[in-house]
Amino acid sequence: MNQLTRRGFLGLAGTAGAAGLTACAGTGSPGTGGGGSGSSNTIEFWSNHPGNSKTVEQQIITAFQKENPDLTVKLVDAGKNYEEVAQKFNAALAGGQQPDVIVVSDVTWFNFALNKQLTPLDELLASAGVDTGDYVDALYNDYTFDDGHFALPYSRSTPLFYYNKDLWQKAGLEDRGPKDWDEFKEWSEALKGAVGSDRFALELADGSNYLDWYFQNMAWGYGGAYSQEWTPTFSDPGTVKAGRFLQDLAKSGVVKFNATPEADFSAGLAACILQSTGSLGGISKDATFEVGTAFLPGTDNCPTGGAGVAVPASISDERKANAVKFAEFLTNAQNTVTFTQATGYMPVRKSAVELPEEVSYLEENPNAKTAIDQLPHTRSQDNARVLLPGGGARIGKALDQVAQGQDVAAVFAALDAESQQVFDNQIKSKL
Amino acid sequence: MQPTSLDTGAAQGERTGPPAPVGPPPRRSSGRAWEWSLAALLLAPNLVLLVVFTYRPLVDNIRLSFTDWNISAPVANPVGVANYVEWFGRADTRTVLGNTLIFTVATVGISMALGLGLAMLLDQRLRGRNLVRSAVFAPFVISGAAIGVAFQFVFDPSFGLVRDLLARIGVESPDFYQRSGWALFMVTFTYIWKNLGYTFVIYLAALQGRRADLDEAAEIDGASPWAHFRRVLLPQLRPTTFFLSITVLLSSVQVFDIINVMTRGGPVGNGTTTLVYQVYQETFVNQRAGYGATVATVMFLLLLIVTIVQVRVMDRGQRA
Amino acid sequence: MSARAHGAEAISHRSPLKTVAGYTGMVLVLLVIAVPLFWIVITSLKERQDIYVRPAQWFPQPATTANYSDVTTRIPFLDYMRNSIVITGVLSMSKIVLGVLSAYALSLLRFPGRGIVFLVVIAALMVPNQITVISNYALVAQLGWRNTFQGIIIPLAGVAFGTFLMRNQFLNLPTEIIEAARLDGAGPLKLLWRVVLPMSWPTLVAFSLITVVNEWNEYLWPFLMSDDERTAPLPVGLTLLQNNDGVTNWGPVMAGTVLAMLPVLVLFLVLQRQMIKGLTAGAVKS
Repeated sequence: MNQLTRRGFLGLAGTAGAAGLTACAGTGSPGTGGGGSGSSNTIEFWSNHPGNSKTVEQQIITAFQKENPDLTVKLVDAGKNYEEVAQKFNAALAGGQQPDVIVVSDVTWFNFALNKQLTPLDELLASAGVDTGDYVDALYNDYTFDDGHFALPYSRSTPLFYYNKDLWQKAGLEDRGPKDWDEFKEWSEALKGAVGSDRFALELADGSNYLDWYFQNMAWGYGGAYSQEWTPTFSDPGTVKAGRFLQDLAKSGVVKFNATPEADFSAGLAACILQSTGSLGGISKDATFEVGTAFLPGTDNCPTGGAGVAVPASISDERKANAVKFAEFLTNAQNTVTFTQATGYMPVRKSAVELPEEVSYLEENPNAKTAIDQLPHTRSQDNARVLLPGGGARIGKALDQVAQGQDVAAVFAALDAESQQVFDNQIKSKL
Repeated sequence: MQPTSLDTGAAQGERTGPPAPVGPPPRRSSGRAWEWSLAALLLAPNLVLLVVFTYRPLVDNIRLSFTDWNISAPVANPVGVANYVEWFGRADTRTVLGNTLIFTVATVGISMALGLGLAMLLDQRLRGRNLVRSAVFAPFVISGAAIGVAFQFVFDPSFGLVRDLLARIGVESPDFYQRSGWALFMVTFTYIWKNLGYTFVIYLAALQGRRADLDEAAEIDGASPWAHFRRVLLPQLRPTTFFLSITVLLSSVQVFDIINVMTRGGPVGNGTTTLVYQVYQETFVNQRAGYGATVATVMFLLLLIVTIVQVRVMDRGQRA
Repeated sequence: MSARAHGAEAISHRSPLKTVAGYTGMVLVLLVIAVPLFWIVITSLKERQDIYVRPAQWFPQPATTANYSDVTTRIPFLDYMRNSIVITGVLSMSKIVLGVLSAYALSLLRFPGRGIVFLVVIAALMVPNQITVISNYALVAQLGWRNTFQGIIIPLAGVAFGTFLMRNQFLNLPTEIIEAARLDGAGPLKLLWRVVLPMSWPTLVAFSLITVVNEWNEYLWPFLMSDDERTAPLPVGLTLLQNNDGVTNWGPVMAGTVLAMLPVLVLFLVLQRQMIKGLTAGAVKS
């Protein structure tokens, strides 16, 4: 096999013209990945501080260091979003010291796992005596590949149905979310009347802003899906039906697509939106009316989302053990409560909701409770979105086309073909 | 590129032979050697930096364009010219090239014309010109990412400034984010708004450094303003125009922050995707670093050709 | 002294029509440029609930400076500012020096392959940084320079743009003057320092200004290289104000933008006078 190794193709062995400088750089570190270096009792945690959580992360770190005086955790600002953390980690894979714990999102973790850059955590967790059964099953199993788990759930979210209670009342609707999308359709005329002209009954993020995440709920609701395992199923009658439903909503002026639906909603320009649970805090602060939250329309068809924490594969075993110790601490019942109360994410431990401070918190914040009550009704996302490279962007593009009136069956058939091709070219041989 | 043109205006150094700091006064032949070594000395640090930090990665990139490298993979398999074949055959290549072309031609043309106009305007003795000079330059100072964020408040279909202004005259605002044409207009406008300060400052510096005697001669001749502009001013600004046409083109082809913040290349997937954004998308989002490297290589070659053509055209003009 | 003031400055008998047109143009420009800037500034002075409202608020009611104190307290703003000043200062200095020296060699010295070397320099402008970062990261990280100033600065220090700009400028200096200086026995350094640079002052100032702006706003490379407020510059640090998975409060983000642009804007105000002064000095020499 005439393969190029990372070290070779990144020119570290020296290329003509710069041989002197690069050659000596190439010998600077032992081992190809360079991941072996680094102090074994300093844990480097690469985070984008999801939900403005830098302060609370630091707080948890302080608590960890108190419990483990021989260990130091260094919190690194690794990006302004999940994509940037992935970019920085990819750069680190090219050479130099690797982090010990890293935040990976629902769409970024898999490519690292597939290319053997993340450690399967099962054995490490077992030897550390962690009861993984306490993690919320749907959230923990999101990171399964090849019979291993490659991350622990950390800043996890789901979409929520947010509605404007004032407008709901004006439209003469019961104070609840729609049972399913057909019921929403029935309500939509009344909502249009209540919200007024130049405003919309529903606003959804557009294809550049994760419409592909929210639409999964609609696709599942009509019996379709993006894929079954690795087989794309956009042409499934259920998925196509959901696409047509979305298109009809757009044509009849019920829904508007927007880069920032939450801003319109808070200003009273949209009667309801689908948004991440992570937006709850912000929306509650911005809105001048009473905000209601409900499960997504339908039953048991709410996609999970958000991010977890993972451990790189090429660091030493000693560092891995420490990393897992910290990752577990970060996501234990106590800390997941601390973290989620500060940010609006969801507790990732089953036992967390029984802690007294969480019980009283949920009593005071019924909207936060909606998200947690919805948790048992969540479903792991389809491979075509989260595991296929570029899946989200690809589906988002097709949904933009659908929203703009292109033929649903044709758009989805093309999407099937494209997704299949990506799988064949980039995934198949590595499974 | 013809060496003769690049020597335009150069002094005939060897005739006098500048004295060396040490040793006896040089003779004709050693004077040339001395000049060569001085040139090497002056150029070396910069060239080393460029070679190590720009050209070495470029060479890596070209090598990777012949592989199937996944950005996270430890190894890459050679695939020959498959990526190039794919690039030429793919449907989105046309869209991306079209976007890049529209964006680049619009930004180069408009920002140079406006920059020159403004520089001429503010070169005159007008009250308050310092204030306006600063205002024109101010947007250039802000980072592209910040401008992208700020312009959401200009173009937002619900709250934006444009919507507010149009509503006052009873016109409905287009949805800049959902329609490809409008989205491309939006990022182009934003880019020009931000970078006008650049063409402006360069033209202003050139106007202030120009030779007053020519202006005065024209004035004495009683030439009309337009004739003066065409026959005296433009020829004097020719090197500046040439310089700007290359640098504005090269930087606008590489626009990234504004697109990334405002549209992420959308709507409908690639409504505002330009070549550089595609490089980013393929490399870091689709994880196909090999294909991303191919797009980058194609882009580099295209730019090289365009620049060489520009240099030639300039030469011809100079000789004519 | 008539050579000192250039044409436009000298025109005192401008027609009133032209003056009116001039002022109209200025007002128009001011509007197009200033209104979005004004928008950034007032957004930075608004309370959270007043940012997304319809109809839009042209004047914040009430105005608040809370966003500014938010910027300076929620993130280590002064640390980022210090890092920005260090990185921009060192980088700009070295780029100006390297750019002038390279341009001097490429315009006023004669040596074989000059055209090729020049092409090599400007072709560097065609390489987007998205493709150089991974490869450079590998190199710099192996040198152990991650999260250090030299790791951020050195890979960015090569000058293509400035070399091009200054070379263009040097080539357009009147040949007679340079010849005369050489005949007077001026060595290359003296020629550069006493003759070439003074005559190129406005362009040099423009070059410096553009360099400062570009380095001040550099994002991708410093982001990859830095880990925290010990080395991260402002553009990287300010992103901490955005909520990257939820609703962002734009007030502080706009306040950060305003604070970050102020130093460079002040520098421009100072330097634009220099551009004019430089011209005068250069012309006197001739």
